[in-house]
Amino acid sequence: MPRSADHGANLAIPRRPLRLLGGAAIALGIAVLIVVLFGSILAAANGQPAGSADIGWLIYISILQAALSTIFSLIVGIALAWALNRLRFPGRNLVIGLFASAIVTPGLVVAFGLLSVWGRSGWLGGLGLPIFGLGGVVAAHIILDGAFAARVLLARLDTIPEARLKTGQSLALDSWTRFAIIDWPALRGTLPGLAAIIFLLAFTSFPIVLLLGGGPSVQTLEVAIYSAVRLDFDLALAVKLALIQIGVCSAIILASSALMPISSSLDRPVEPRWRDGQATRLLQYAILTLALLGFASPLAAVLADGVVGLPDVLAQPAFWTSVLTSLWIGTASSTLALTLALTIASARAATASRTARTILGAPAYAYLAVPAVALSLGAFLFIRNLGIAPDLAAPIVVVIANALLSLPFAMATLAPPLDAIARSRGKLIRSLGLSGTRQFLDVEWPLIARDAGLVLALGFCFSLGDLGVIALFGTQDFVTLPLLMSRALGAYRTHDAASIAALMLVLTIAAFVTLPLLFERLSRARS
Amino acid sequence: MLVLDAVTFAYPGAPLYSFAMEAAPGEITAIRGASGSGKSTLLDLIAGFLAPISGRVVIESQDVTALKPEQRPVSILFQSETLFEHLSAARNVALGLFHSDWATVTAALTEVGLPDIGAQRASTLSGGQKQRVALARTLLRNKPVLLLDEPFSALDDETRATTRTLVQSLTQKHKWATLLVTHHADDISAIADRVYLLKDQMLAR
Amino acid sequence: MYRLALAFAALLALAQPATAQDKPTLTIYTYDSFAAEWGPGPGLKSGFEASCTCTVDYVAAEDAISALRRVQLEGPATKADLVVGLDNFTAGEARATGLFTPHGVDTSGLALTWSDQDFVPFDYGYFAYVYDKTKTPNPPTSFEQLIALPPSFKIVLMDPRSSTPGLGNVVWIKAAYGDRAPEIWAGLKPHILTMTRGWSEGYGLFLKGEADMALSYSTSPAYHAIAESDDKYGAAIFSEGQIAQIEISGILKSSPHQDLARQFLAYMSSAAGQKVIPTTNWMFPVVDLGADLPAAFGTPPAKILPVDEAAVTANSKAWIEEALAAIR
Repeated sequence: MPRSADHGANLAIPRRPLRLLGGAAIALGIAVLIVVLFGSILAAANGQPAGSADIGWLIYISILQAALSTIFSLIVGIALAWALNRLRFPGRNLVIGLFASAIVTPGLVVAFGLLSVWGRSGWLGGLGLPIFGLGGVVAAHIILDGAFAARVLLARLDTIPEARLKTGQSLALDSWTRFAIIDWPALRGTLPGLAAIIFLLAFTSFPIVLLLGGGPSVQTLEVAIYSAVRLDFDLALAVKLALIQIGVCSAIILASSALMPISSSLDRPVEPRWRDGQATRLLQYAILTLALLGFASPLAAVLADGVVGLPDVLAQPAFWTSVLTSLWIGTASSTLALTLALTIASARAATASRTARTILGAPAYAYLAVPAVALSLGAFLFIRNLGIAPDLAAPIVVVIANALLSLPFAMATLAPPLDAIARSRGKLIRSLGLSGTRQFLDVEWPLIARDAGLVLALGFCFSLGDLGVIALFGTQDFVTLPLLMSRALGAYRTHDAASIAALMLVLTIAAFVTLPLLFERLSRARS
Repeated sequence: MLVLDAVTFAYPGAPLYSFAMEAAPGEITAIRGASGSGKSTLLDLIAGFLAPISGRVVIESQDVTALKPEQRPVSILFQSETLFEHLSAARNVALGLFHSDWATVTAALTEVGLPDIGAQRASTLSGGQKQRVALARTLLRNKPVLLLDEPFSALDDETRATTRTLVQSLTQKHKWATLLVTHHADDISAIADRVYLLKDQMLAR
Repeated sequence: MYRLALAFAALLALAQPATAQDKPTLTIYTYDSFAAEWGPGPGLKSGFEASCTCTVDYVAAEDAISALRRVQLEGPATKADLVVGLDNFTAGEARATGLFTPHGVDTSGLALTWSDQDFVPFDYGYFAYVYDKTKTPNPPTSFEQLIALPPSFKIVLMDPRSSTPGLGNVVWIKAAYGDRAPEIWAGLKPHILTMTRGWSEGYGLFLKGEADMALSYSTSPAYHAIAESDDKYGAAIFSEGQIAQIEISGILKSSPHQDLARQFLAYMSSAAGQKVIPTTNWMFPVVDLGADLPAAFGTPPAKILPVDEAAVTANSKAWIEEALAAIR
C-alpha cells in the first residue's frame, strides 16, 4: 500500500487545478468579504477609543456553556445515530427528517416548544425540571444540535462497506466490539468537524441564551457585542469584542481541521442484515423512544400550539406574500450554498496538503465565528459606501448571508464523500484519464446526489430562519416568515406567531424528508 | 516493450527498492512474491502513482518516468473496485473515451464473451464478469502495456481458468506487454511466458 | 468569488435611482411593529396621504434605536425625513447627535405637559408588571412587597442592554429608590425567572404560564380585553409610583421636506391621528380622545415618577451595570 498521502505530490488522487483554483477563489472571496465588512465598521468608528467590558467572565461562561452543549450533543448524537442505523420501522424516514430539521428550526421556536413540554405549565411540567439557567440552555442546544449530529453521523454509519459488516457478522462480534471496531472508525472522522460546528453554534447562540439563561450570569460575547452597538454605539468596542470572538472561534476551527482525518469509506447504504442481540435492540429502542420524546415532543408542541391561530393566519395576504418571499430566498440561498460547498469541498478533495486543506476549509466557517450584529453593521455600511440603497440590497445580502450560514453544514455533509471518492477511486480515475467534468457527472454526482439534496434542504430551511443580518436595512416590503413571526410576537399576536412557527416547521420537515429522496431518484434515473 | 531501468524507490524510513526488468509485447510477464514484498509498489511505479527516486521507466522506447498516470500508455486491472458499481457495464467501458458508441462498446464486450450485459448495472455482475468488463475497457483504449494486480484472486477455479485464457489470447492478439502480479503458482504455470521473483526489495528471474 | 462579484454587479444595477415621482415622498424611519400592517403605521399613512398630496414611506428597522443608529451611520446623506418611535429614555442621546431640528409643532393642546422643542410625543404608557388575575388574586403593590414574596413567585424581566422596558425598569427602580436600588435588585434576584432579549419573548413566557408576572405596560391588559375578549390580565400598580415611556418623533436637519414632516407630526398628534394609536400600538393617546378611548384602557396610574432626561443620558450605563452586578 502506498503511504504517500502526506509526502510530496500525491499522484494517486486526481489532479484538478481548476477545482483548486475555484475553491481558493471562494475561500479568498469569503475572507476578503469579512475583512471588508470589518473595515467598514472601523472606518465608521473613526478612531473613537473603545470602552470596556468584563471580557474574562464573558469568555469563561461562553466557553463553559458551549463546551457542555458540544459534549452532550455529540454523545446524544452518537447514541441516536447508532440506534437509527440498526433499527428499521415504519416512518423511519420521517423520524430522520424530523431530527435533521431540528437544527434549522429557529432557536426561539424550539425554546418555546421546550417550554410547552417541560415548563411549569407544560405537558410534563409536573416533573419540575430546571429549564431555566445553564441546564435549560444546554438542553435546548442538545435538542437543536444533538439531533443534527445524529443525522450527520447516521449517514456515515449507513455507508459502512457491506464487506466489513459481513466480516464482522461472520466473526459474531458482540454489540460493543461491533461498535468499537466497525462503527467508531466510521464516525471518528466526522466528529471534529461536527464538534466545531456545534461549539460555534452554542458559543454564538443568542436568543436561546437570553430566553432560558435565567439572568445576566449566563451571557455570551454576542450579547455584549449587540449591546455595544445598540446601546452605547461604541463601534470600536464592538469590533474589539468581535475580534476576540473570531479569535476563539478560529482556534476551534483550526484545531478541528488539524484533527480531522481524511475520509475514505464510500459505499451506498445497504439494507442491514445483521441485527444486534435482543438486549442491545431493547436499548436501541429505548434510546429512540427517549430521543423522540425529547426531540419530537417540543416540535410536536410547536405544531399543537399553532393550531388555534391557523385560520386567522391563512386568511392574511401578508402571510402569503411572506411565504413567497421565503420560498425564493430559500431557493436562491440554498442553491448558492450548494455551489459554494461543492466548489470548496472538491478543491479540498483534490489536494493532500494539510495546510491547503485548512486554508480552503476554514473560511467556510466564517459566518459562525463572526457575530451577526457585526456582520449586519458591516454589510450595511459597505452597501452604503458603494452608494446602493440598503432596502434594495437587502434581499441579496440575505441570500449571501444565509448561504454563508449554511456553508459549514453543507461542507460537513459533502466533504467526506468527495474526499472518499478521490481517495478510494483516485487511481482508477487517473488511469482512465477522466476529465474533471466526467469525474463529476459520472462518478461523484450519482454518489453524492442524496447528500446534495440534504444540503439544499439545510440551506433552504436556514434561510427561513435568519434575518439578523438585515436588522438595519429597513425591510418594509421584504418580509419573510420569521420576520412576520417576530412582528406578530412584538404586537401581542402570540397565536399568529405560534401558527407561523408551526407552518415553518412543517415546511422544514417536508424539505428534509423530500429533497434528499428526490435527488437520489433523479441521480438514479440518469445513470 | 516495457523496460524498468534501475528504478529505485523507498517509503520514508523503509529500505530501498531496486527494480530492473523487461516485458515483451505479446507476452505475459509474471511477478511472483510473498504478501508485502512490494508487488503493488512495483505496479504503482509503472502506472505513475508513485515517483521513483532514480532510474527510468521506458515504454516502447519512450521514457515515461516524468509522465503523470493519465498520460502513460498503460492500462490497469485492479484486484477489486475496478468498476464503478453505480454505473452500467457499458458506461464503465466507455468512461473517459471521447468517441464511443454503443456498437464499439458492444463489440468490445462481445470480444470478452459478454455481448448481452451492457445495460446491466455493474453492482449486479459476478466477480468474473466484472474483470471481463474491465478487460473490454482496456481493449477500447488499446494501450501497449497492461498491468494486472492479482486479477484472478477473487474468482472461483473455473472462472479463473477461462479469464486467464481470455487474458492470454487478448495479449497475443493485441501485442500487449502484460504484467501479471500474483502469488498463485498455477496462474504462472498456466499462462506466464517469463517470470520474475520479487524478494528482498529486488527482482530476479 | 465569481458569484459574489456577479451578485454585487446585480446590486449595482439595482442601485439606479427609482423613477422620479411628481409627489414628494416623506421617508420615515421607525421600528418594525409601528410599520407592521396591524401597527399604527398604515392607518396614519392613509390618513395623512388623504390630505397632503405626498407619499409616506416607512423604513422599518428592528427597533427605534436601530433606526436612530442608521441615521447616525448615514449622516447628512440620509434619506430619512423623520424618525418616529424614539422615547424619553433615548431622547437625550438622540438630541446629542445634533441631527434633529426643532419641530415647530404647536403642542399646547396635548394632554401631556410638553415643552421639548426637538421632539413631539405621539403616545405614552407606564411600565408595569402584568399578572393573571385568576392565578394571582392579590398581586404585590410595591417592589418591597414583591421582594417579600416567597422565591417561587417568578417574574420575567428584559435585558436592559437590549430592550426598552428592560432599561425602563432600571430607571424606574433608580427613580424610586436612588442609592437603595442595588438592594432592591438583590431582593428581586431570587424571583427573576430569566431576562429575555426583547419584550416579546419575555411577555410570551408569561403568557405561556412560565412566570407569575412580567414586565410590560399598564395598557397590556387592554389588548387582551379588547382583541381577545379576555379580562383575566391585570397590571399591578406599585405604591412607589410608575414611570412613563413617552414615544416621540423628531425631524431631521438634513430633510428637504421639513414642512411636510412638520405637517405629519401635527397630524399624528391631532385627534384624527391619535384615534389610530390606542388599538394599534396599545398605548395611551397624547390628546384627550374622550369616548374614543376604549374603556378597557382605564385611567393612568395616580402616582407618576418623573424621568430626568439628562440624568438618564449621563448615567444609564452605570445604572445598568449596578443593576446587573446586583443580580449576577
